Amino acid sequence: MAKESMTAIERTRAAIRLEKPDRVPLVPFLSAEPAALLAGFTTAQVSNDARMSQSAFLKVFDDYGGWDSAYGSPITPAQMQAANIYPMKVRIPGRDLPDGYMFQLVEEEIMKPEDYDKICEMGFDSFYYEDYLWRINCFPREDMTRLIEEVLINWDPWCKELEARGVEPFIMAHEFHPFFKLSLMRSVVRFTEDLYYNPGPVERTMKRMTDELIPKQIEICKALGVNNILLVDERGSGFYYPLPVFERFWWPYAQEIIEAFWSEGITTVFHLDTCWDKNLPYFKRLPKGSTVMELDSTTDIFLAKDVLRDHLCIHGDVPASLLSLGKPEEVEAYCRRLIDGVGAGGGFVLGTGCATPPDCKPENFRAMLETGRTCGLYRS
Amino acid sequence: MSQELTDAIVELNRDEAVAAVERRAKGGEDPLVILGECRRGMAVVGERFQKGDYFLAELMLSAEIFKAGVAILQPYLARSRSAESKGKVLLATLKGDIHDLGKNILATLLQSHGFEVHDMGVDIPPSRVVEEAREIKPDFVGFSALITTAFAGMKEAADMLQEDGLRHNMKLIIGGGVTTPTTRDYVGADFQTLDAMEGVTYCLRTVRGE
Repeated sequence: MAKESMTAIERTRAAIRLEKPDRVPLVPFLSAEPAALLAGFTTAQVSNDARMSQSAFLKVFDDYGGWDSAYGSPITPAQMQAANIYPMKVRIPGRDLPDGYMFQLVEEEIMKPEDYDKICEMGFDSFYYEDYLWRINCFPREDMTRLIEEVLINWDPWCKELEARGVEPFIMAHEFHPFFKLSLMRSVVRFTEDLYYNPGPVERTMKRMTDELIPKQIEICKALGVNNILLVDERGSGFYYPLPVFERFWWPYAQEIIEAFWSEGITTVFHLDTCWDKNLPYFKRLPKGSTVMELDSTTDIFLAKDVLRDHLCIHGDVPASLLSLGKPEEVEAYCRRLIDGVGAGGGFVLGTGCATPPDCKPENFRAMLETGRTCGLYRS
Repeated sequence: MSQELTDAIVELNRDEAVAAVERRAKGGEDPLVILGECRRGMAVVGERFQKGDYFLAELMLSAEIFKAGVAILQPYLARSRSAESKGKVLLATLKGDIHDLGKNILATLLQSHGFEVHDMGVDIPPSRVVEEAREIKPDFVGFSALITTAFAGMKEAADMLQEDGLRHNMKLIIGGGVTTPTTRDYVGADFQTLDAMEGVTYCLRTVRGE
C-alpha cells in the first residue's frame, strides 16, 4: 500500500519540477476573507489588520490538518495598494462595506489615454507612486511608509510560523502581466478600445513596463531568496480576445517575462483566470518546467493536461461554486477526477479554482483536503 | 434603408458609425429606421460571436458603438413614436457583490436586440428586486455575480419572487464568472450562462416561444 514518504516542501517542489511525488500536493488558495470565515473571525477584522489575517490563515491550517504549501499571504487591501499589487480602488469590509462582505475592487477608468505616455516617460513604478496611487488610494499619504514597513515586519514571523508547520509560502514575489494591469487601470472596455483603435501607445507602454518589471522582480526574488513568483492575468484569454490580439499584445510579453525569470532559476506560478482553452498550445513554447499553470475551472483542465503533459505543472481547479454550494461527496468526486486525470504521472498540484470562496462550506473544504490526502497517493 | 451604418457597426468602425447616425438624424430621417439599422448590425455581431468569429472584445466594442448611437438618437426618439419592445428585462447584481462588468455588457446587448432594460445596479437587496418587479412586471429577471457570496441573495430574491406570485410570469436568468449549473439549481433559475450573447439568445428564443 502506498504511503507518504516526502515532506510537504519536497512534495510540492517535486510536482512543480514535473516529477511524480509521493502524493499529489495540496495547495488551496486561501485569502484573508474566506480564512476569516472558516476560522470564525470577521471579514472586517482581517481586512484591516494583517496580523489578524495571518492568525485566521494559521487557525484554518491547524484546524483542518494542514496542507502542503501556504498560498494566501497576510496582507490587507491598503497594504496591497501600497505595495503596488492592485492598481484599483478598493472597498473594504468594516469601512466601506458591511462586515461579512469580501473586500472588493472597483473597476473604473482611472488611467486616462494620456497616461500611456506618462508611463513611458516616467517608468511604471514612478508613475504609480508619484501620481496614480493618489487617484485610487484608500489610505492617507502619511500612512504609506508605515503600511510598507508593516508588510516587512510581518513577513519574518509569518515565515517562521509556516516553517514551524513544515511548509513554505507557495509564492512570495507577486506581479501582474502588464496587459492585465493596464486593463484594470483603464477599465476593460476603454482598454479594449485602445487595443483596437489606438494600439501604438499600448504597445510602447507594454514594452516599457516589461523592461522594468523583469529586472525588478528578479532582484526582489534574489533579495527574498525565493525561486518562484506569482504572475497574474485574467484578461488575455480567448474568452476576451481573438488570437491575433493575444499574439500581438499578450503572448510576446508573457514569454519574455517567463523566459527571463527562468534564466535566473525562477519559476512562474501563472494565475490564469477565465477560459484559456484556445491559448493553451502557445504555452508549450515556454521552457519545460518554467511555469505552473494555475487554472480556475473555466479552462478545461483535462485539455490543459493533454496539451501540456510533461511540459508544465498544472495547479487547480476545484470550482468556487462547488465549494460554496456542493456536497462533500461531490467535492470528493471532483477531486478524484482531477487526481486520476490531471495528476497521472505527476506535475500536478491539487488546489482551488482561482481561490477558496468566502462562503466555502467547512465540510467541503475538509473534503477537498481529505480526498487529496487519501486518494492522491502515487504508487511508486 | 442603408447598409452603410449596419456594416460600420459590424466592422467596428466606430467613428464612421457614429458620424452616420449623427448625419442622418440631423438630416431628418426617421430615428427608428436608424435605430433599426444599428440593431441589425448588432444582430450580425451576435451571429459572428456565436460562430466563434467574434469574441467578447468585439461584443464590447460594438455595444459601445451602439450606446453612442442611441445617445445621439435619444432626443429624436423622444419626439417619435416609441419602438416596439421585445420584452422587459430587470437586471441586478445582488447584495454582497459590487461587480457589474458582465451585467453592463448584457444590458447593452439586450437593448440592442430590442429589449427594454431596467438595470438596478449593484449590491441590491432582494426585497428591492421584488418591489421593482411588482412595479415594472418584467418578462425576464437577470442576476449577475462575480463572487459566490451573491448566490444567497440570488436565491432569496428568487424565493421572494415566488412567494409574491411574480415568478411564474417571468424567466429568471443568472450569469457571471462563478455561476454554474449547480448555482442555477440552487437559485431555482431557468437559465445560467457565462456568455452574455447566450443570455440574449435565450431571451430572444423565449419571446419567440421556442
